Amino acid sequence: MILNILITIFIGFAGGIAVGSGFVAFLTVLGIVPRLMQLSKTYSRIRSYEASVTLGAIIGGWMNLRHLTFSMSPLLLIPIGLFFGVFIGMLAAALTEVLNVLPILAKRIGFEEKLIIILMAIVFGKVFGSLFHWVYYVNH
Amino acid sequence: MENLTVYIRMRQRVQVVPNQKVTLSEIAQIVAPGEIHKKVKALIIHHVKPEDKHLIVIDVIKVIQHIHNVYESIDVQTVGPAQTILEIQYEKKKLAPVYFLLVWLLLFFGSSLAIMNFHEDVSMGIVHKKIYYMITGEQNNRPLLLQIPYSFGLGIGMILFFNHLFKKRFNEEPSPLEVEMFNYQQDLDQYVIVHENKETEKKLHDT
Repeated sequence: MILNILITIFIGFAGGIAVGSGFVAFLTVLGIVPRLMQLSKTYSRIRSYEASVTLGAIIGGWMNLRHLTFSMSPLLLIPIGLFFGVFIGMLAAALTEVLNVLPILAKRIGFEEKLIIILMAIVFGKVFGSLFHWVYYVNH
Repeated sequence: MENLTVYIRMRQRVQVVPNQKVTLSEIAQIVAPGEIHKKVKALIIHHVKPEDKHLIVIDVIKVIQHIHNVYESIDVQTVGPAQTILEIQYEKKKLAPVYFLLVWLLLFFGSSLAIMNFHEDVSMGIVHKKIYYMITGEQNNRPLLLQIPYSFGLGIGMILFFNHLFKKRFNEEPSPLEVEMFNYQQDLDQYVIVHENKETEKKLHDT
């Protein structure tokens, strides 16, 4: 019995370590945190950003597993949704950049001066696709 | 007239037009004593011919040869890159706006499809419903209050990452995309320098 508990604890812990380090590795490869520090000129706060990412992952994971609920106003969801979106948007942008899609595309079709317009196509496409998905697609 | 030295530094990329006579001062920075400087500056290094393709690589050795043809005893010191890439600017064919529109629409619908696939792939809808329940304690099958700000946030995040707000920048640093474009160009240049320049490779069967 005690052995069972110990083994379960060990397996859970091992799984957590694997997923946690994978998450950090993923974030590091995409370079979102350095990008945000560069934009806000807050390089010296890197330690707090690390804590923020770690705490977010722990609290989010815990809430998800324990099915915690708070009885708060739904309006609170508006800023939360916005933060979600900005983060996922940066993730998507970083992924596009890692894959080197845009420089090659722009060079191939000779649109180097119109890069911003090309970029806007992708940005609007994402916003439109996402709105379409939630407002229309999921109900059909 | 002894021990005269000419310092040259080849430029990285130079744009030329067809039939241009490319002089040394156009493809390199030169430091030399007065008289010689004037003469060396005007040396024609390459004459762009119609049969030249898009890119020509001028090696510094060729430049030194040209200088030595005129001043045999001069000492040529080179600094920096060992070659210049000449980029011939032909009359640009104007791309039809229709063509541009097509590419724009392709990217637009492509990325909207991609984000929908992503949402389905990671069960984003279920997560949103769960978060709605977590925060408010009520079930809601369409948590639009969360999802609509999320959708706009997506766009804001992408713009933030690329540091462009319709040409307006948040700060002076180059955006990752510009750095990426630069790196890509450098790689292309490196390739061209090795492959367009017949002197850099010697194969067994070349005579």
